[in-house]
Amino acid sequence: MPSESALAAGLSELMVLRLLKEQEMYGYEIVQAIAVRTRQALTPGEGVIYPLLHALEKDGLLRSRRKSVGGRSRIYYSLTARGAKRLSAMTDHWTSLSNAVGAVLHAV
Amino acid sequence: MRFEALREILLKGGVAPRHVRRYLAELTEHLDDLTEKQRALGYDGEDAEMRARALLGEDRELAAAMLEQKSFRSITARAPWLIFGILPPFAATAAMLVPLGVLALIGKVLGFAEKGAARPHWFELLATAAAACANLVFFPLVSVLFVALVARHRLSLYWALVAVAIPLILFLHSVAEFTIPGHPGIRIGVGMAPIFLAKGWKTMGAQWPTVAAQYVLALLPLVWLARRRLTAR
Repeated sequence: MPSESALAAGLSELMVLRLLKEQEMYGYEIVQAIAVRTRQALTPGEGVIYPLLHALEKDGLLRSRRKSVGGRSRIYYSLTARGAKRLSAMTDHWTSLSNAVGAVLHAV
Repeated sequence: MRFEALREILLKGGVAPRHVRRYLAELTEHLDDLTEKQRALGYDGEDAEMRARALLGEDRELAAAMLEQKSFRSITARAPWLIFGILPPFAATAAMLVPLGVLALIGKVLGFAEKGAARPHWFELLATAAAACANLVFFPLVSVLFVALVARHRLSLYWALVAVAIPLILFLHSVAEFTIPGHPGIRIGVGMAPIFLAKGWKTMGAQWPTVAAQYVLALLPLVWLARRRLTAR
């Protein structure tokens, strides 16, 4: 059974991949989007997103490029084909896991 | 500088400098965005900056997130014995061959490398200069390189000592010889005469002024790093 921290790490990875499936984003945007969509349920230090982004990029799941928008230069991340495959597999896994946990929690 | 303490933690933790640089650059940009947002929310000056810094995360938390990514560790942190224990004599030899290679090229182009070819006096001077350059410039430059690596990666001073000492103990030295019986050309190259062998002492005795300068120049970067570390304490 995965540990609590492994579950949290997997969850962060899943959310990042899911968000970047929609559009390319920079770190700050990703963190804000996670906060909005989870209704602030997940509030780690915002800076810890970067080691995850860098690791995903190193694994070939994301790609990055520096882009200037509105006079500010930032590193934007986007999903690769490999990242999309990984997202699909993780989504299936988390959906079945969530259903399984839900079945236990809501059992009468 | 922002994140100076975090930089030190990461480098001492073995994270490769390029990953540290990128992480801190992105944290700086993120902090600017957070500060801007806090200002937009009505907080001003120092208050906005403090709130933004708290939202970004504590140094401990930010460092832990990076340190647990083992793939970001530098090769010097993973295998310092390879970089500072084995590589230096090879690097020193390769570096010392650079001026000799240039000399050989000049000799080849001008035809001095041919057997029995007459060579002008200036070429002999050039060969002497190339040997001196190998001993007094390129050999110490290798010390500078490895000491700089130790400084950049915040490694123990002992690794700098190892990297500088091994080529000195092996005593890599370049000599140009001109009047060799039965040898028509100039003989120049990089030789190894370990100081724990009689051959080493013999060569050192014959070339002692150059050898002394070579040792002093090679040790200077190490002294610089030791002084810098002592001052920082």
